[in-house]
Amino acid sequence: MRRTFLATAIAAAAFAAAPAAAQQFDWRRHDGTTLNLLLNNHPWSQAMREMVADFTAKTGIRTRIEIFNEEQFRARLTTLMQARSADIDVFMSLKIREGAVFHRAGWYADLTPLLNDPRETAADFNFDDFGAALREAETIGGQLVGLPINLEGPLFYWRKDLFERCGITEPRFLEDIPAAAEKLKGCEAARAAGMTSPWAARGLRGAIPYAMSAFIRNLGGEFWKPDGSPGLCQPDTVRGIEMYATLLKDYGPPGALNHTFTQVIELLGQGRVAMTHESSNEFANIMRFPNRANDLGVKVLPPGRETGRSVPVVIGWGLSVSAHSRNKSAAWTFLQWATSTEVQTKLVAAGVAPPRSSVFNGPAFRAWTDELPIRRAWADALVEIARTGNGVYQTKTDRIPESRDLIGNAVQQVVLGRASARDAACAADAELARLQ
Amino acid sequence: MVWPALVFAAGMIVFPFGYAAFLSLHEFMFGGEPRFVGLGNYLGLMGDAQFWNGFRLTVLLYVVSLGLQLVIGTWLGLLLARNEAARGLVRTVMVSPFMLPPVVVGMMAIVILDPGFGVANWLLGAIGIPPRQWLADPDTVILTIAAIDTWQWAPFVALIVLGGRLALPQDVFEAAAIDGASGWRRFRHVTLPLLAPTLVTAAVLRSVDLLRFFDVIYITTGGGPGYASTTLNILAYKRGFEFFDIGYAATIMVTLSTLVFGTVLVFARLRSSVRW
Repeated sequence: MRRTFLATAIAAAAFAAAPAAAQQFDWRRHDGTTLNLLLNNHPWSQAMREMVADFTAKTGIRTRIEIFNEEQFRARLTTLMQARSADIDVFMSLKIREGAVFHRAGWYADLTPLLNDPRETAADFNFDDFGAALREAETIGGQLVGLPINLEGPLFYWRKDLFERCGITEPRFLEDIPAAAEKLKGCEAARAAGMTSPWAARGLRGAIPYAMSAFIRNLGGEFWKPDGSPGLCQPDTVRGIEMYATLLKDYGPPGALNHTFTQVIELLGQGRVAMTHESSNEFANIMRFPNRANDLGVKVLPPGRETGRSVPVVIGWGLSVSAHSRNKSAAWTFLQWATSTEVQTKLVAAGVAPPRSSVFNGPAFRAWTDELPIRRAWADALVEIARTGNGVYQTKTDRIPESRDLIGNAVQQVVLGRASARDAACAADAELARLQ
Repeated sequence: MVWPALVFAAGMIVFPFGYAAFLSLHEFMFGGEPRFVGLGNYLGLMGDAQFWNGFRLTVLLYVVSLGLQLVIGTWLGLLLARNEAARGLVRTVMVSPFMLPPVVVGMMAIVILDPGFGVANWLLGAIGIPPRQWLADPDTVILTIAAIDTWQWAPFVALIVLGGRLALPQDVFEAAAIDGASGWRRFRHVTLPLLAPTLVTAAVLRSVDLLRFFDVIYITTGGGPGYASTTLNILAYKRGFEFFDIGYAATIMVTLSTLVFGTVLVFARLRSSVRW
């Protein structure tokens, strides 16, 4: 009688618990699935390649990761997506650049139902932990199309030791940078220390606007006119273009027009240049070079002297699930893991700025930044660009890469001495108008 | 049993080209649906300064590279034909450049020609010549790329010429020597006419390759500085894969393919006229 009662009680308890268990998220639900990931070559991706074994151990989901440089990454991604291929489950995407086009094409899986389903989303995922702006950037047309994985923007890096040797003070205003470059150019002590050029920055056509935008806006310029039409020809914008081009032309390394962040970071890391305006993302790579952790300074590009204005660029990569994937639920599991507090805390050591507030303000990140003054300066700069930054650095159009290419070409014409900043900018406006 | 060949040709040649031709008649951005525009893209091409710039650069690169490769390749090939002892070793060494993947060639060129620390400027400096910008100077970039391609492919032409020269009947050259023909006259009136079919074959092989030349340019300059090395292939790639404008990119590629077919036809005619 007693045994019958116990068996009945256990069966009743199990029956009562069954619906609750079915509604709970289970990390191992997709054990045995294989996910294909297409990633851009980025500190986040490199770190992820090292860490993904933890994901497999936790979930039983295996991954195949492909990492390409940005242009090849996009060529492969767009080809596969256009073919409606199910070969890609998860991909990186820069919504500010391609979000509108990809969304219109229906290439992003809508993650909103997955996020709202307790069987699909871990109870401790805490989506609100991502900053509101980052969540908004990953939401298009009311659909959640990705999860943020980082925060980045160009920062001003300068060699404090060379400035000191040459008796130059830290640039407080944008206009101090060309003046400092001029002094560094004539400073024998800087050359003796290995400096070959005072300045380096992106000179490749399509890469220029990212690094140049703050030059334009800090001097009071804008990429468009108040009516929304292209506005490179506006006087303050022309001044920004002129300053960026002059720095490259008169103080940049030879061959600068073929340079993008890889060459710039190499030159800075090797100690060949004294200043640059390059991505916050590259911080970890720069720190790998000997001495740079001690002799480099980093901050947001200084404001214009007259305007007092500082408008840095800020962007964030996100991780999306392909609308053509046959493993959307498993892919969403990966997204949750990759953007979890635990993983983001580990990514900090790889120099990836965490988009989760709890991680950014957490003890692990603080302990890491407190180890070196330059890490603290880098983190402070990130806080500032997150607060004041702007993610649009081209004219108003959906054809963003083409617009950036035309803007970059105008700058190249000035660097090559083939046109004045004003002529190049006005000619570019006519071309840019076609894209609207 | 010709049908496997027909199926293969249809699947691998006719369909892709036909699809490209179909796309070229449409306005088609990645992610959207194709919209028929007839010859609109082709008419747009005629008024597009970037297309004409790309066309000029493609032809310039083709003419300079092919000319250099035929001249240097013929010279090297004939030199090797005369020197039997060195032939085996030199032939092995000469194969090396065109066995290299384009990515390696491009990366090597970037390092050697870097205006700041490249060995090319160091060598120029050693003999008192001021440094050059090589790949960063719009006036010299296309010639620099032609030189890189010539370095890689002139040995290929040389090997073809060597094979052709060794296959020629020796008695013709002996007769010319007995008749007192000098070295240059022998080359001009005997060697060159006899080698003409071989040279045309080499020119056809290099023409097809040169007109679709993409990889080294993409790696070394990406089409810059400015648009100074944006050949038609680079332009089509950028329009298609960076700007998502697939219809227009297809139009450029169909036009370029027509140029390639036309060139091959001209050489085919030439080959029959120089046959002996």
